[in-house]
Amino acid sequence: MATTPSNMKGFYRLKKNKSGITKPTSSKKSSLHLVPSLGSDITQLTALISHGSPDLKDYHDNHEELMRQFDMNMAYGPCLGMYRLARWERAQRLGLNPPIGFEGLLKAEKVRSECWWDGRI
Amino acid sequence: MTAMEIDTEKNIQRKHSTYQSLDKTFDIKNEIYRGQQYSQIYFARLHTMRTLLYSLVTHWKPHVPVCTILGLEEGKECIIVGTLYKHMQLKPCVLDEYSKERSAVPPVKPQNFMHPDDHLVLEDESGRVKLGGTVLSPSTYVTGGVVALHGKETTAGDFLVLDVFEAGLAPQIVPQLKSSEDKYVVFISGVSVGSSTSNPLQFQLLVDHITGHLGDEQEQGIAAEIVHVVFAGNSVESPLGLLNGQNLASKDQSRVSEAVQVLDILLSQIAAGVSVDIMPGSNDPANFALPQQPLNRCLFPGSRTFNTFNSCTNPHCFELDGVRFLGTSGQNIDDLKKYSEARDELEFMERTLKWRHLAPTAPNTLGCYPFTDRDPFLIESCPHVYFVGNQDKYGTRILEGSEGQMVRLISIPKFCNTGLAVVLNLRNLECHTLSFGAQPSTLKTFNDA
Repeated sequence: MATTPSNMKGFYRLKKNKSGITKPTSSKKSSLHLVPSLGSDITQLTALISHGSPDLKDYHDNHEELMRQFDMNMAYGPCLGMYRLARWERAQRLGLNPPIGFEGLLKAEKVRSECWWDGRI
Repeated sequence: MTAMEIDTEKNIQRKHSTYQSLDKTFDIKNEIYRGQQYSQIYFARLHTMRTLLYSLVTHWKPHVPVCTILGLEEGKECIIVGTLYKHMQLKPCVLDEYSKERSAVPPVKPQNFMHPDDHLVLEDESGRVKLGGTVLSPSTYVTGGVVALHGKETTAGDFLVLDVFEAGLAPQIVPQLKSSEDKYVVFISGVSVGSSTSNPLQFQLLVDHITGHLGDEQEQGIAAEIVHVVFAGNSVESPLGLLNGQNLASKDQSRVSEAVQVLDILLSQIAAGVSVDIMPGSNDPANFALPQQPLNRCLFPGSRTFNTFNSCTNPHCFELDGVRFLGTSGQNIDDLKKYSEARDELEFMERTLKWRHLAPTAPNTLGCYPFTDRDPFLIESCPHVYFVGNQDKYGTRILEGSEGQMVRLISIPKFCNTGLAVVLNLRNLECHTLSFGAQPSTLKTFNDA
């Protein structure tokens, strides 16, 4: 996460005014309502805010992180549209030797059963 | 004139054979659609075939290294394995109507979409590469087949193909019991009951012959050697004008189901005497995408009471006395005809066996269920008899594999057009046709010899 500078001007890239015809500018800058400021949670990606509160728990869970790596690994094929356990079993059946521990994690329901992208695409 | 002899009561027993259905892999009852895309089935296909090809190429060209497409180095000879994609400019694309460039496109023949400028691309998970050279002819190949290619990358970034390696025929299980007597299997397809081109008398003649109601004792003896009957698709044709999405009027409802009712009556006549398999086809009341699911048993209230009646999937795989049969109702070969060319249907069939895939163009141009865990069209065990229904003409040939496999290829013609049914002898896998016609013949007088 980027550190929020105390100087607002440093945050936005300043553009040079074009020489020649200048249009009359309004006194107020056209506002960006998502104005970052110190301590606000707007700098969080909106995708991580689910059910009204920031989805911080999943993000920091180690097991979920491991499963995310499993989802993204191209060797086991596409992850979208399949349950993680079904994908693990397919990898097992095709002889790809997926990590054994993942089966235990999935069956014990310590992690989400759907892949990371499920519902987000 | 001698007195007519009264025939003594003689029961002719029909021969029997053991039947085992192997359609489990084509069943989608237990599949759940979770929004998956076709990338899953392509991954399963590529991975299964690649593992197989990696083990086979070591014998083909042992000294050439194998690499992935992303690992190609310019000028270095290597072997790559991937899925073929054929770029065809005449292939109908759903985006064409949104294309801003409205160039004058010549009217396309709906039969075949080939063009001299078609080119092939090889693809795996890491990337894709355009294929060049003259060894690989785009007119022979289609999108979806998995092959191994020996060649090298050129400065232009293409892959110059020096040699091609296909998986070849799958291993074949030798049938345990070699029967010493003649037993026959009858194949019919495209009966199209209810269509304007079908002749009900022809079909009735066929049913009567199979059930032994036709001819003298010798002919009945021949009919008694028929142990199995297979209907390879398009058994029924409902008047299409009625099925336009609107509610059916009550007088139309009976018309739609008339054809199936007639089929049921005739099927029950056959099922009463011999085991019969009925497969769905492109015109039958079944789902569109392959693998087509068995026709609902509710359509056959008369036939389903017999345990000899089997409603099967398309494609259909079964074993009869240890002889393995595999066949489709024709959609796979018809699609190959649109996107590639060959001498005849048998050559297309040979290619599908050598690529070890029943329908390589599925799901690209042939409707297919999006399987996630497997590709059910991969041929793991080579059949002894490979049949395809609803073709234009009859054809048959024996195909030999590099490891002694022998397959009888059968192209079954449409019965409504040709009046031909195909008969196969289980003992020696020889084929002949049964021809049914209903033409008026000149009257003969009694004095003729």
